[in-house]
Order: sequence, then structure tokens, then C-alpha cells
Amino acid sequence: MSRVDGQSIISVGIDIGTSTTKFIVSHLKYAKVSSHFSLPRYEIVERKIVYESPMYSTPLKEKRDEIDLKTLAGWLEEQYKKAGVNVSEVKSGAVIITGETATKKNAESILHYLAEKSGDFVVAIAGASLEALLAGKGSGAFLRSKEVKGTVANIDIGGGTANVALFRRGKVLGTITYHVGGRLIELDQNGEITFISSSIQPWLHSKNYQLQVKKKIGFREIQQIVQEMCKDMLNSLTGQKPIRLDDSLIHSTSFQVIPPIDEVMISGGIGQLLEKEAPKTIYDTAVYGDIGPLLAHEVVKAIENCSLKIIKATQTSRATVIGAGMQSTEISGATIHVTASRLPIRNLPIMVIELNDEQIKSGDYVYEQIEQAMIEWKQYFQGEQEIPFAIHIRGISYCSYAALKEVAKVLFSLYEKYFPRNPVLVVICENDIAKALGQLLVLQSKNKVDIISIDQVVVEQGDYIDIGETINQSMVPVVIKTLAFMKN
Amino acid sequence: MNQADIQQIVEKVMMELQTRISQQSEDKIDKDEKSFHYTAVDWLTHVPNPKFPEGIDELRKVTPARIGVWRTGTRPLTKTILKLQLDHAAAVDAVSGEVLDSLLKEFNLFTVETCYENKEVYLKRPDKGRVLTEEAVKTIQERCVKKPQVQIVVSDGLSASAIEANLRDIYPALLDSLEVNGLTQGTPFFVKGGRVACMDHIGEILQPEVLVLLIGERPGLVSANSMSAYMCYRPRKGTVESERTVISNIHSGGTHPVEAGAYIGTVLRKMIDQKASGVRLEL
Amino acid sequence: MKTTITLMGKTYQFKSLKEIMAKANEEKSGDQLAGIHAQDAQERIAARHVLSELTLADIRNNPLLPPEEDEVSRVIEEGVNEKIYASIRNWTVAELREYLLSPNVTNNEIAHIRRGLTSEMIAAVTKIMTNLDLIQAASKITVETRCNTTIGQKGRLAGRAQPNHPNDNLQGIKAAIFEALSYGVGDAVIGINPVIDTADSVKAILNMTKELIEKWNIPTQNCVLAHVTTQMRAIKQGGAADLLFQSLAGTELGNKAFGISVELLDEANELILKEGTAAGPNVWYFETGQGSELSADAHHGIDQLTLEARCYGLAKRYKPFIVNTVVGFIGPEYLYNSKQVIRAGLEDHFMGKLHGLPMGVDVCYTNHMKADQNDMENLAVLLAAAGVNFLIGVAMADDCMLNYQSLSFHDIATLRELLHMRPAPEFERWLEKMGIMENGRLTSIAGDPTLFL
Repeated sequence: MSRVDGQSIISVGIDIGTSTTKFIVSHLKYAKVSSHFSLPRYEIVERKIVYESPMYSTPLKEKRDEIDLKTLAGWLEEQYKKAGVNVSEVKSGAVIITGETATKKNAESILHYLAEKSGDFVVAIAGASLEALLAGKGSGAFLRSKEVKGTVANIDIGGGTANVALFRRGKVLGTITYHVGGRLIELDQNGEITFISSSIQPWLHSKNYQLQVKKKIGFREIQQIVQEMCKDMLNSLTGQKPIRLDDSLIHSTSFQVIPPIDEVMISGGIGQLLEKEAPKTIYDTAVYGDIGPLLAHEVVKAIENCSLKIIKATQTSRATVIGAGMQSTEISGATIHVTASRLPIRNLPIMVIELNDEQIKSGDYVYEQIEQAMIEWKQYFQGEQEIPFAIHIRGISYCSYAALKEVAKVLFSLYEKYFPRNPVLVVICENDIAKALGQLLVLQSKNKVDIISIDQVVVEQGDYIDIGETINQSMVPVVIKTLAFMKN
Repeated sequence: MNQADIQQIVEKVMMELQTRISQQSEDKIDKDEKSFHYTAVDWLTHVPNPKFPEGIDELRKVTPARIGVWRTGTRPLTKTILKLQLDHAAAVDAVSGEVLDSLLKEFNLFTVETCYENKEVYLKRPDKGRVLTEEAVKTIQERCVKKPQVQIVVSDGLSASAIEANLRDIYPALLDSLEVNGLTQGTPFFVKGGRVACMDHIGEILQPEVLVLLIGERPGLVSANSMSAYMCYRPRKGTVESERTVISNIHSGGTHPVEAGAYIGTVLRKMIDQKASGVRLEL
Repeated sequence: MKTTITLMGKTYQFKSLKEIMAKANEEKSGDQLAGIHAQDAQERIAARHVLSELTLADIRNNPLLPPEEDEVSRVIEEGVNEKIYASIRNWTVAELREYLLSPNVTNNEIAHIRRGLTSEMIAAVTKIMTNLDLIQAASKITVETRCNTTIGQKGRLAGRAQPNHPNDNLQGIKAAIFEALSYGVGDAVIGINPVIDTADSVKAILNMTKELIEKWNIPTQNCVLAHVTTQMRAIKQGGAADLLFQSLAGTELGNKAFGISVELLDEANELILKEGTAAGPNVWYFETGQGSELSADAHHGIDQLTLEARCYGLAKRYKPFIVNTVVGFIGPEYLYNSKQVIRAGLEDHFMGKLHGLPMGVDVCYTNHMKADQNDMENLAVLLAAAGVNFLIGVAMADDCMLNYQSLSFHDIATLRELLHMRPAPEFERWLEKMGIMENGRLTSIAGDPTLFL
């Protein structure tokens, strides 16, 4: 019983943060995890970093409201060379623009430009929620949650935001992001304020702190501000302060109520500063020209005041890039149907159609449900009807072939009716039925529309999905992105 | 004790008996109204004070093994035992059962037999289930297309209920997968009392390019309705096991029958393209 | 050698020792399938009469499968101590039976004469013993072996935790291990039958179990029951294996069908001694089972009981830590019903013990066999009375990967209580430390798998 034990795909991660940019190259090893007697199934069995770039100051243009693409691209090119990787060999990965940088004028175009240029299937990621999640996976908090009984929070604090993700027993409970970061206020070693981020202004106002650029500030005063900032965040995290959308410290949240936290990990640039001694003067504080060192020290104090246990993160400043490079890619089931010429296909928004076994069995409401979803979708994307999207059919756990055939018939006829100019139909199933549904759709479409039908991928309404080229003639890599540039 | 006393006692006993009988029939009506309906949760037992309460579900979710069942003394709880016995009973019945003619008619499958004689001989003499009777040979020679690209054969094997439970889903999915993969089939039929290697005998007679046998598996407790699909490129006398490709564990709780059916076409296509099956086939 | 006998006026003529050996067996569907069985009940007993009169020298001088033709025969021959053999060569098989059962013959005497016995002699005496004979004779024999821990002591009953999973999911395997440990099972070995026979996958299971054993300081050993060559690759790639596993057949041809040979086993033996993680000296786990040679068409017309004995002759060469007959796994064409399974279980256990092997039994059946869980419970009691070293334990007896039934963790716990047997000593102390066992009985927290979360 011999077979190839596993193969690897090269994946890259690029994290363009408020203060620093990082790059990694990793090998994702996938292997067959099914026996000779089952339908084939693969999993990514090992994720290994093979190259890590040095920290690189994110290049901004003079006005600081735009990223300097030319300089950044030049640096990346150099990094690819150092890593010994050809862009053409890169089969997966993600570029992420994090924290404050995401608000820069050209962030979105840069993101997509780099994603296109960095490899065959490198995707663009943005959004505080996904950022928090990837940082938590990169820092070691996610893994830790599998080993301990309580809830583990990862707080990734960078220059502009603190992205918090909560994990429990290997599951993601949710994310919340605060306007807490090392570069929200910048100052020189004489105590003169050089920059105040617009995103912290509302909170400063609400607390009656009157800071002004070019004015001097004393150590006690800045310490008090940072203390207050940390206390506010911890009060919110520990549930002492209810979550309100008009809270000026909260950037975005998936929680309405935050569950009790048992352990905390701190990653990000601030996580790295934890080991340094606490600053005692304004001179010590401004060693990097910002409030970072002070924030690192105060956040730990605030956490300890809440009697939460702090666990050392395995990765700090590189947590997000590691998460993006190593943890963003998943692979689909291995019995699927794809039209190879259509891949890779990027940034498909997800339309969810909810069906249940009962409906499928009886055939009732299947037509209505699907039609309803399509009409809503059409209204939602009025201006951009050609936008390819993916239909996620949810709720089929077990169904007969006859019932599945009915679903395929209805789905295809309605798709033709409502989206007649879309040349490709992408369907995503939860359970292992994509090949059966795919062949039914192919027989329905009679080659009028290209069919892509994949399964064993978990997506939600509002997610975006990128689907890569087939691996090993049987499966596709996918990256699922939550709320990319949509809200927040 | 005089006669009257005895009569009195008898009367009293009769009275009591009657009321008891009427009560019983009342009880019975009562029970019919609230008859026992077992669903999966009714067999679920609980560890009374687990050290980590949410851990029990977590552990149960990751394995179909019967864990977290608890005990009375060192023995399992009644429900655990009854569930085990029920699953075993289903398995035993699956072995001794027969596939209904009406199902076979639905798919136009005619029936031929192997030399298995009866269930006991079938179990004791696997060699007999590998050879068709003379009559069966004659029948398929008369009724089947010779040298087809794909020959489909269905057999009860060790579980008639596997055919009953899965044929309606896997069979049409298989036919569609042939179409999608540009394959044509010969004349399908059903073999009663078949073993996997009956493929070889059929291969000799009909000489298909590839043969796919849908056959009931030895029932397990997880499912008594599990089916396997054995596939072979040019099956013939002397075919060795490593030349067969198999997908097993096909049932509603295992490999989804519609997906298995849809996948078979892909496998057969590769067999024909590569002129190989089993370990030499690259999937 | 006399091969003819007249009983109650009827003469029975046998052509060869092979025929006598086959026909003397209790009824087994496997011998019928091979076409070598006694034609009726009386012929069976006639063969048994003849066999009882043959001497041990008759058996040795008339090899069923000559050493020149078969390496298993050579291994068995090489193992014979000629001096001891010379001292018993004129014993009849009947005399050997009565010797084994006589009250003044103890473990020591048996340990002495076994060195003069071949596997065929042991098979022969087994055929003329009743079930209770097999139990009593076996119960005299103690075989202690040591890997990381020692098992096999008198009054001890160990269990293998068999936490199989239908697709080798590591978390799923772990969950079943926790359940086993919480019932005090796992002292013989934590042994997983993998679905996926690749070095990567085997290594992952080996290392997961090793980490778990180290984390909880469990005095036991790990093993993944893949093909020996896969385990060897896994070990070379850094897999932490205490025990090496392999299924054995009683003929060279049968082993070829398993993809092994004496040469390969010797090579594997060298590797596990060098790169295995256990203290030793016993670092092998073998499995056998009546009928495997016939299923591979490698039986040379020899009956399945004799072939089973020959597996033990081969196993002895590698001084295994545990040997296990998977008695009812192979199916009704070899052992048709519970009566045949029970008989085979007792035969295998006795034969293994007489070979000096640390015998355990997988008391099991498949669903197309005429047997049920009650039959297994019966056999388990008989084997525990016979002093079996260990039994296989599966969650509620239902192996969700191999699709057959064995004994449950509950059953092993029950047998210990019922027959006043204890787990292996080091493991018992660990159970006490964990609060799962007290004075040889399970405590109120036993049976809670979340103890290990």
C-alpha cells in the first residue's frame, strides 16, 4: 500500500501594518487523509515557515495618507529574491493591510495590485475581524485554546488598532477591535506631540483630553491617557462596560456581549515590547517616537488588575503575517466538479440559500426559497449584475438523488432567468455532495454555462471567497474572507 | 372451609381478575396513546458528574465510538446494552435478508444466481459465490450486450438491506456520471448470492472494458446498510485483489451514495484511459 | 507410524499424519472449506485415538511441511533443544496430555519440556484436550514479559486499549483512549489499527500516543498496527514506537501473502531494538488467527489449528512482549459459530502459552458469524480463568473502524472484579494515583473520559 505521502504548496503572507511591513514564505503540506477504500479527501497537514523578512518600515508618501507603492514593491521584489522564491511558484497566500494603513487613500488598489503580482493565487484581505482572527491563529492563541479548558483571548496591538479574537476549545467565538495602538499618538523625546490619529480624537474628546500637535506633554499626563485607554478597553473586554456601537473606543465588533475570558495573549508590535522595561520618563517613552512602550506596559498592568492570566505568545509582531501566510488557505473536498479554465476566480461574494432536509424531501418551497434569494441578491447588487458570485446551499445533510436533481433543475433554471449574462455558476456545498450536484448542473446546463461545484467549505453570508486552480486534479485551494472592505 | 366460603372466595378472585383485566386493557390503551418512540437521544446516557462537563460532548463529537456511556457497577447501562443489541440485530437481519423484486424491476435489473445454494453454504463457502450457475451463464449470454465499455452488476453480497437502502441513490447518480464522462454501458443485471470475485466470471463471459459491482458489505454496527463499489479493468479469471479499485462504506451515514455514484464515472474514465485498475491506477 | 485403527468393529484408515491431524480437530468450517475435515463424528474420534497413540518422535519424523521447503518449519526446528527432546521423544501424545494435567507438574516443569517440543507436537496434544483441559493446563503457565512495564504476572489481567477511528482522526483516537483509561484499560498496550497505511500517518499516531503517555505518565506502551514496513519507515522518520507490530502466518507462503519473511522480521527486529523508544527487552506485538493461511491459499493441506501453532513457533524467535489471537475476526468460513470460536480461543491461548508466549486474545466476532455478545462474555470468563495475559478492549465492544465486536472496557473491569484479578502492577499504581482505582476496584470517578481533558 504505497502512495505519495504528501506534497507542498508554497504560500506567502504580506502584512502591511501601520508602522511595519512583514513578509513570510511558508510551505503548506497537504496529504491524503482517506484510505484506499474511501472517496479521496485531503487536508493541509503541516504549515511550515521557510522564510521570514526583517521588519520593514511601511513606506508612506509625504502626506502620510498614501502608501508608497513603488518603494514597497521594490522591497518585496528584494524579499522574494532573498527567499529564493519565484512569483510563479507561489500557489497561495494572502496580502493583508492592517490597522490604520487600511484607511489610507490607495489601500484598496495597492492590496489588489500586490495580490495579483505576488503569485497565482494570492488574495487580498482586509477587515479588522479577519485581521484579529489571523493574528490569533498566528500568535499561538488558537492552538492554546485547544489545550486548555477556558476561553483564550488574543489581543493583537499594532500601531493603530487592538484586534481581539476569542477562542475556546479550538473554536472562534468572535472578534472585537478597539482604537488602541502605539502610533495613535506620536511624540518626540522632548515630549512634543508630533501626530494625533483622527481615529483616537473622538475618544480623547469624550474624555476631555485636550491634546494638540506641536504642544508638549508631560510623562504623568501621557501615562494617565494611556492608562485610561487600557482601562477602558479592559472594562469592555471583561464585560464591566456594555458594548455600544457609539463607544468611541470600539472600532468594530462581532459581539454584543463578550463571554468571560480566562487567558490573554498579547501579540503585535506591542506584544514584542512587553519584555522591555517600563518607561519612567517621557524620554524613555518616546524612544520610537510614539506611545508604544508605554502602552505595552500599561496594557499588562490593566490586564493584571482584572486578574486575567497572561500567557506568552509564541509569535508577537509577526503573528498577523504568519496567520495570513499560513492559516488563510484551506482546501476543498476532493470530489468536486470544476471548469478548469475558469480558475482561479477571485472575490466572489456569497449568496446563501437555506434549505432543509424536510423541504428537499417534499420538494415544497425549494423553488420559492431559491427564487427569493436570487431576487434579493439582484436588488442588492443592482448596478453590478455581471459580478460573479458563489451560491452557498446550506442545510442539506442527506438527500436522495431524485431530490438533488430537483434542486439542480430549479437552481439552474432560476439562475438562467435572473442572471442570464453570467457565464459561470459557482456552487458551494457544506457536505460531500458537490460532485453529484455538479454533474446534475452540467447535465442541466448543456454547456451553456460553466459549472464550478465545490464542497466541505464553511462560508457565511457576507463572506467572500477566492478559489484557486486545481491541485492534484482533485481539489481546489480556497481562501474565505469575512467582510472585506464592506463595513467597519 | 365450607362450600359457601369457597364460592365466596372464587367470586372474589373472579371479580378481582376481571377488574385487573379491564385495568390492563385500559393500561394498554393508555400506552398506545403514549407509545414508545425511540429517537437517537433516547439511547443517550450521561456521565453523571464529569470533571469537565462540556468535554463529554466534545469527545463524543470526534468519534463514532460508543464513549461517555457510563456504567452501573462495572456493567454498562441498560440503554447502552439495548442499543448495541439492536444494532447487532439489524446487522444479523441484513445478512439473512433478500432484495425485493420490485426494487430490481424499478431499474430493469433481471436476476441471475451464483452456485451459493443457500445462506449457510454462502457463508461457509465463499468460493461458490464467485461462480455463476450454468443457467445464469446462459441467461446473461442471451440477454446482455457483449464487450460493453462499462458493465454494471448489482449483488446482495452480505447485506441485502444495503441494496434496498442505497440503490435508488447510487444507481442513477452512476448512470449520470457515465454520461458526463462520455461512457456507455452494456446490459446491467442483479446477481443473487454474489461474492466480489464473481466479477471475474462475468468478465470472462461478457468481456467488458470495465466492470463495476455494487455489492452489500459485511454489516457493521454503525450501519447494516453499507455498500461497496468494486471496479476492475478487464476482469478475468485470475484477477488478483490488488487489481480492483474499491469505494466502501457507502451509506447515509458514511460515504454519501449520490457522491459515490457521481465519482465512479470519474474512476472508470481513468481506468479506461490508463488501461489499469487497482494499485496501478493513478487517481 | 501406525495410521490405521479399528474401533467397535469399524476400521479407519488414514493416509498420513497430515490427515490424522486434520481429522482429529473439533469441527471447524475452515477445515471443511479446505476439504480436509472428518467425514463424520466417529471418524473424528477415530483420528483422535490414532493421534493419542503416536509418539512425539513420530510427529517430528513425519514433517507436515519439510524444513527444506518452508522457512517457518526451519525456525521451529532450529528452536528445538535436542537433549530435552531426546528425553521425551518416546512419549505418546496422550502421555504428554496427562503429563501437562498431572498435579505435580507446574510452570517450572512445563517451561523445561517446552524446549523439546515442536509446534506440531503442541498442536497434536491440543487436539486431544477438552475445553476444560485447555483451561487448566494453560492456567499453570505464567509468562511474564517486559516492555516499558511488566505484564503477565499471576492474578493480573491486562487490557489493550483499541481506540480505532474510521479515518484515523487523532482527536477521535484520543477520545477513545481517554474512555479506556478511565475504565482502567490500556496496561497491555495502547494500540491503534490505522486505516491509512502511510509512514506519515502512522508517525502522527505514534507521536500523539507517545505524547499522551508522557503527559499523563502512564506506565504502558504504544503501538500502531500498520504493516511492519510502514512502521519501519515511520520510525526512521522519527516516529516514537515502543512496540513493533506484525500479523503472522504459519507458512512461508502465508507470510509472503502478508508481505513479510523471516529476513524482513529480523531486519525489523534490529531496527526496533536500536531505534524503538521502549526499555524492553520485549518489543514485539504479534497477531495471529486460525484460517489466515487458507485465505491466502498458503495452507499446504494442513489444518488451521496446526498452522496456528506454527505461527507461535515463529513468534517465539522474536521474544515478543504480547501475542494476540484475533480469534473470531476472519469470518464464518473459518469459524462458523460461537462454539467454534470459543473452542479456537481456548486452543490458541493454550498453544501460545505452551510455546512460552505472552498470550492475549481478541475475543471477537463478525456480524455474519453465528455468534453474539453473550458468547464473547462466556469466552472471556473462560480465558480469564485460564490465566490469559491480556484481552482486547474496545468502547462498548464495537470497533467502529474494523466493523466487528470484541470485548468492552466494562467487560475487562467486570472480569477483574469477578475473578479478583488486578491490572498490571505499575499500571494499577498509576490508576490509584489518578483516583480511578482503589483496592483493586474502580472508584466512583472511573468511567469519566473528561478526567484527561
